[in-house]
Amino acid sequence: MKNMLKLGIILAIYASVACVGLAFVYAGTKKVIAERQKTDLEAALNDLFPQGKGFDEVTGSLKSTEPSVTFNNVYEVKDGNGPLGVAIRAVGASYGGPVTVLVGVGANGKIAGVKVLESKDTPGLGANAANPTYFVDRTKRLTFTDQFKGKAVTDPFEVKGDVIAITASTITSKAITGIVKVCGQTGSQWLATQTGGTK
Amino acid sequence: MKRYIKIFTNGLVLENPLLMLMIGLCSALAVTTAVANGLGMGLAMTFVLLMSEVVISAFRKLIPDSIRIPVFIIIIAAFTTVIDYVLKAYFPDLSKAMGVFIPLIVVNCIIMGRVEGFSYKRPVMDVIPDAIGMGIGYTWVLVGISALRELLGNGTIFNIQIMPQSYKPILFFVLSPGGFFVFALFISLNIFLKSRLKNVEEERK
Repeated sequence: MKNMLKLGIILAIYASVACVGLAFVYAGTKKVIAERQKTDLEAALNDLFPQGKGFDEVTGSLKSTEPSVTFNNVYEVKDGNGPLGVAIRAVGASYGGPVTVLVGVGANGKIAGVKVLESKDTPGLGANAANPTYFVDRTKRLTFTDQFKGKAVTDPFEVKGDVIAITASTITSKAITGIVKVCGQTGSQWLATQTGGTK
Repeated sequence: MKRYIKIFTNGLVLENPLLMLMIGLCSALAVTTAVANGLGMGLAMTFVLLMSEVVISAFRKLIPDSIRIPVFIIIIAAFTTVIDYVLKAYFPDLSKAMGVFIPLIVVNCIIMGRVEGFSYKRPVMDVIPDAIGMGIGYTWVLVGISALRELLGNGTIFNIQIMPQSYKPILFFVLSPGGFFVFALFISLNIFLKSRLKNVEEERK
């Protein structure tokens, strides 16, 4: 009994010392990590909307209509006199697990751009969705996500139809295309209610 | 001095953690799809190994025998979390690429094995060359495996195109089965190096 207590206390001391040490490291790196994530996000949003001047996070009013796709964050992009578009960070299931995609939808009813943020798909196959040097259209030097740029949200979004698939990665292609479609539709509908309300 | 050099070089070839002791293979095979990942993982591992071995060796008389394993895990986990935060803050791409394998350093057999088998019984001065030797032994194998896999499977090294444009990457090498093949090649290379070293030693005698 006495021994048990002694050992417990010793273990507790080691654990507390480690915890205090970690707390310092956490406090030291927390700011840098948060800043890094913020600049990463801003860079990504700027990529999609080069004319954008400011970003506001929108909470609650935008929900995915597809059960397999969830919207993590929604950002409204403004250029000074009104909304320019909306960027949606959405997660859906792909071949190797969840895939996170940032989809920009313009107020003009067109996809402003698509970025694959995180994917666990097979390197060299599905992971080529995020590869800037993998072209689905070699002559136009078009990557998989490039092809969505400027596409109308009312398009059918059919892989091997109006969307060129990644070779040997139909599941990945379909998953990302599905996410882009849902984001495009809900995003543009939401934008329509926004501009309608301010007029 | 000679003794420390011997401890240090042990980890490189003769007792290489991956190729001779064959421990900690899971993460080693998983992260070696690109050289940057292999190098990052190797250095992260070396850091955790060095710090844990030094701390445990310094406190070895204050760690009761019956609860040594939990104490080891606490110490290793603390340093692993440190490296995890640092990578997230300053090398976000690397941290993203290695994903779950950084936190999993906690349960890496190499660290557990060295701590339990070596640093718990030895003074700090012995432990430092051991940790550095084992760390470098681990890192060179990871860098070697990942260089070969990235070169053959992607045509690049450090994401720089090495192979001519006409080269069609052999995807197989980036996927897991290719990892086993390359790993087997390195084991045979290590056995060859070992026999060479033995010959040299015998000639000296």
